[in-house]
Amino acid sequence: MSATGTQSRRAEQSAAAVAGIEFLQGIREGIEGGLDPMAAAEGAATALPRSLRESIARMARRLRGDYHEDEWGFDEEFAEAAYPFFEFLYDRWWRVQAVGVERIPAHGRAMLVANHAGALFPFDASMITSAIMKQHPLPRWPRFMVLDWAFSLPFLAPFMRKVGGVPADPYNATRILNSDGLMMVFPEGVKGTGKPFSERYRLQRFGRGGFVEIALRTRSPIVPIAVVGSEEIYPMVGDAGAVARAIGAPFVPLTPTFPWLGPLGLIPLPSRWRIHFCEPIDISAYPAEAAEDRRVVFEISEIVRETIQQALYENLVQRGSAFG
Amino acid sequence: MTSASGRRIAIAGIATHWGTELARRLARDPRVERIFGLDTIEPDADLERTEFIEVDIRSPVLSRLLPSTEVDTVVHCGIIWYPAPGRPARALHDINVIGSLQLLTACERTETVERVICRGSAAIYGCEPAAPSFFTEEMARSFPLRTRFQRDIGELEAYFENFARRHPELTCCMLRFQPELGADLQSPLAKYLSLPVVPTQLGYDPRLQWIDADDATEALVVATLDPIRGAVNVAPDGSISLTRALRLAGRGELPVPHPVFGPALSRLGGRLGVGSLYGDAVRLLRYGRGVDNRRLREELGFSPRLDAVEVVREFARRSSGLSVAPIPTLGSALSRLVGEPR
Repeated sequence: MSATGTQSRRAEQSAAAVAGIEFLQGIREGIEGGLDPMAAAEGAATALPRSLRESIARMARRLRGDYHEDEWGFDEEFAEAAYPFFEFLYDRWWRVQAVGVERIPAHGRAMLVANHAGALFPFDASMITSAIMKQHPLPRWPRFMVLDWAFSLPFLAPFMRKVGGVPADPYNATRILNSDGLMMVFPEGVKGTGKPFSERYRLQRFGRGGFVEIALRTRSPIVPIAVVGSEEIYPMVGDAGAVARAIGAPFVPLTPTFPWLGPLGLIPLPSRWRIHFCEPIDISAYPAEAAEDRRVVFEISEIVRETIQQALYENLVQRGSAFG
Repeated sequence: MTSASGRRIAIAGIATHWGTELARRLARDPRVERIFGLDTIEPDADLERTEFIEVDIRSPVLSRLLPSTEVDTVVHCGIIWYPAPGRPARALHDINVIGSLQLLTACERTETVERVICRGSAAIYGCEPAAPSFFTEEMARSFPLRTRFQRDIGELEAYFENFARRHPELTCCMLRFQPELGADLQSPLAKYLSLPVVPTQLGYDPRLQWIDADDATEALVVATLDPIRGAVNVAPDGSISLTRALRLAGRGELPVPHPVFGPALSRLGGRLGVGSLYGDAVRLLRYGRGVDNRRLREELGFSPRLDAVEVVREFARRSSGLSVAPIPTLGSALSRLVGEPR
């Protein structure tokens, strides 16, 4: 931190303190002048700095319910407020390098398909979102599928919904694509997040190819995405199966730090990340009815899987050591 | 058969809010010739054109009475969502399932009947954490039926579908209503929103759809006069989170841990006008539910006037003078502080 930076911050702090003292003095004078406390506070508030008045007004507007939520419960203001935290993870913690973000169509629907990892909390969706919001020439908020079980958790479920998560259900994906949105899916699902550390970057089975059926029916291009780095944040060395069964979770990961260090074990390791957006796969040559054809579905699914697997290997080499 | 002289309509459950409202609106329609209202008690309101027939829909007498009315349309408004104060939830099963079965039997005996419309509930979809965000009509029963009311609705719909299959000459329409909201409506969920401080479940913020009471009645009128076959969801466009709804209504929120939410709400039961709060309300206020209304708009041809957010705004605007004054909230205090219009 430079000397001037420290000085300017000190100056800001003392300005805020002066404003606070003036505000309280203003209230006291108002009450002594015979006003009720609220009216006195109103009078004193006129002396507050403009930026502070604006943030109070914004907070008041939210508390009155005067803000926008879309039909999925996505709350853009909330997502923007949570964004600095993800930006910190993106820039400082994982030093993410994103390649080819501009390959995501600037307009219209697209299905984003990525590998899934991060045993305790998969951060890949939030980092892909951050990459789009930071580096795409025309940024827009994508929606991502969230494992159904996670949507039954208190606090986490409303949070994920407000930042763009939707329960993993084919109808939801279809509806979002039909309204020309960006739909992020993780066909590996739980098999991806719950795989042991030794299996990292080996793509699991891509389910039954349901995502391809949806892409065919909604005529959406598929953008394969390879995320390197996410698979080292929580090295899963074991699975507490009995606990998982007791709480209904798909798995309970054991990492070198979790649960041994308690809440500290939730801190992800600061691996270096690389997110590679591959060339979109155009499936408009197929008719929508091809969704009924198992052979076509598996073929496209395999192409997407191969593309991501190949990109994973290439980017692993380009990234180099995970914690260097 | 009946087209020359106008429609003859029987409304089962005329004394319920929906039956009464439906009869009131149908009475203004020139296409309607006669309206018969069936119930055990006479409706509170004065319905001039409605001929009241005192009958319990659970009794077999209905099968002898209904044919004599020579109606072409039967509307079932007698399904009860909430047990009355002092009555057990178990009593609902008799009215909702056995009663509906008797009514369908009576329809079978009435040769003039061409259309049967049932005012059902979207509760058949349940309230699930990982459900599709918008249920379409064919997605009923994709989750296990968990509560008593849900199972009753499930059973009733099974009878209704079976009836429709055996009588392809009849147009049978099942309307699945989301909960209603209106300033004059005395429903438990409307009263819940009118509490000065509203208990919610800590850590949960359900997505909800309330349909405006006026839109709900209008949808029922449209379906009565011109029904389509099968199930139709009756819901507004969009959805709203409970937190935002409470903020718009200017109510304080009191999050309580979810295991004590049910008991806390039941203690308020008297105030909400229900005997015992059944699991449906608790689950709805934990996980929420959204349904798709495309079929309502495009096939039945009725578009709700208010969307999910406007319904709550309208409710807040119209009920602010009627109920307990809301306690001053932090939001209103802050906006006053910086001199913003509220």
